[in-house]
Amino acid sequence: MGIKKLTDLIEDNAPTSIKTNVLKNYFGRIIAIDASTSLYQFLIAMNADVSSALTNQLGMFYRTIKLISRGIKPVYVFDGSAPVLKSGELAKRQARRKEAKENLKEATEVGTTEEVQKFAKRIITVTRKQNEDCIKLLTLMGVPIVKAPCEAEAQCAEIVKKGKAWATGSEDMDSLTLGSTVLLRRLFFSEAKKMPILEFELQSVLDGLGLTQDEFIDLSILLGCDYCDSIKGIGPKRAIELVQKHKTMEEVIKHLDKSKYPLPEFFPFQEVRDLFKNPNVIPADQLPIFQWKDPDVEGLNKFLVEEMGFSDVRVAQGIEKLKKFKNTSVQSRMDSFITVIKKPEDPNDKKKKVTKTPSKPSAKTAKKSTFKRK
Amino acid sequence: MFEARLLQASLLKKILESIKDLVESANFDCSPEGISLQAMDGTHVTLINLVLRNEGFDTYNCDRSLSLGLSLVSLSKILKCAGNDDTLTIKARDNESDTVTFVFESPKNDRVSDFEIKLIDIKNEQYSIRKSDYSAVIKMPSAELQRICRDLSIIGEIVTISANKEGVKFSVSGDSGSGNITIKPTSDSDVPAEQATVIESKEPVVLNFALKFLSNFTKATPLSPMVTLSMSEGIPVVVEYKIEDLGFLGFFLAPKIE
Repeated sequence: MGIKKLTDLIEDNAPTSIKTNVLKNYFGRIIAIDASTSLYQFLIAMNADVSSALTNQLGMFYRTIKLISRGIKPVYVFDGSAPVLKSGELAKRQARRKEAKENLKEATEVGTTEEVQKFAKRIITVTRKQNEDCIKLLTLMGVPIVKAPCEAEAQCAEIVKKGKAWATGSEDMDSLTLGSTVLLRRLFFSEAKKMPILEFELQSVLDGLGLTQDEFIDLSILLGCDYCDSIKGIGPKRAIELVQKHKTMEEVIKHLDKSKYPLPEFFPFQEVRDLFKNPNVIPADQLPIFQWKDPDVEGLNKFLVEEMGFSDVRVAQGIEKLKKFKNTSVQSRMDSFITVIKKPEDPNDKKKKVTKTPSKPSAKTAKKSTFKRK
Repeated sequence: MFEARLLQASLLKKILESIKDLVESANFDCSPEGISLQAMDGTHVTLINLVLRNEGFDTYNCDRSLSLGLSLVSLSKILKCAGNDDTLTIKARDNESDTVTFVFESPKNDRVSDFEIKLIDIKNEQYSIRKSDYSAVIKMPSAELQRICRDLSIIGEIVTISANKEGVKFSVSGDSGSGNITIKPTSDSDVPAEQATVIESKEPVVLNFALKFLSNFTKATPLSPMVTLSMSEGIPVVVEYKIEDLGFLGFFLAPKIE
């Protein structure tokens, strides 16, 4: 899943672009959440062998309440069909799952419980039914959802790019390649596991790596993405050097010693690039305005308690929480009242602590005047 | 080379006291015109805007603009080492250096201490706020605002400020009860003009704020006997403390919206 080693690469080359933060600091933010990866995580986190339909809904219900009670406005985006190019990757995953299934069988016979669990986790898939149940649950909770025509991450990126949401919530680093301006990781399990949320800002990532978005896409392909094989023998370090030096994939391939680094048989990088640049999405301006409605108490009770067999007390508690936070006043953020002006920076001495900014005095006077009242 | 000398080190100490709990670290932007600082707290609910003009310093030398990124926690610790009547000199070399030096000198010149603080790399951003013609501008004694915040914090967390020509009402309600404090413009002609409460109101305005931030701002009370609150419907309030001869310290606070 995602782009291989991209996180490490960013940590090494653009450390300032990764911020850590706590969940409650994101109040008031609209966050487009890649529902498919989250669903998959609930299943893994909540131990697969118990009735998965139930754990799934339970996870969705509680974690969404957690987000809302922190003042966050989630929008869930669901996957449509996978792009044709991904079929290779999907086939591989299928094979891995099959292998895991066999291993599981073996482990149940002779192995330890630990081994059994390990392989059990690998065979997890999210079924269509589970997806539909989640959509139903979220709608009852009054949370807006978007059904993407293709990949959910791409749809999230589109929503964020057009300013309809502030960030993408996903574990997949693809989101940056697809152009999400801000990516949040660990959104769901940061509080439980006491790990801070990781906030990636695309522009700082690009500045730190010294790349344009197009070059960044080529870098992602070179590192290895879901859509095609990568070139054997080229690791993250070489990949970034190559892209920084040659700028485009065409040039990289031209200058590559093919005897040492043979291209994979199937390497349709132009098509993959196009998939990152112009993915199949619903244009953000054609989506309905996101609205967070009051929860449908009757519907939730019927669905969760009667159909799913949840404890009615816990469901009632959850609904209470949802309602409480719907009605309290919301703290607004300064961000909506100010515009950020990037200070001019001399790219040559970026590393130095004290940066000289020659053109700043004029900007300064301009700024002062905007602060003057009347 | 940057060098600025301030006759009262205590001034910077007071400034730091009021901002160090809101922001962990910030850039002090030094330019030929003076020193300025803009920073938002972690939740992006408040914005600090500090301006210290060059003419307010005893001496001020800055031939080239530079940003000094400092941990405010470290800085305030070091400023605690300054005596109340000490003078303060801030020194920084241009590019190469990764530290800034603070020198404190006692009035009789019999004690000189210097401290170096490591600079940190902070993202350089500048904010500009939409211009606004405020519906209400309230000038009142800063100690009064501090007391109101202290008293009302006992009752609840959210304060409603309603202002019109007659007065400004601060209301709070909580689990245990509710309370109101109303401040009226000074009518007593014996009170000197610079200490009088003045309300300029174009139209009535009602806004809700998180009281804890407002209380935090009032830590700046020692900087100035008077404080100005500027408000308009739906936009952040500005709480501003003038620093005599030197500049001002302003706090923007985003409102709570129903």
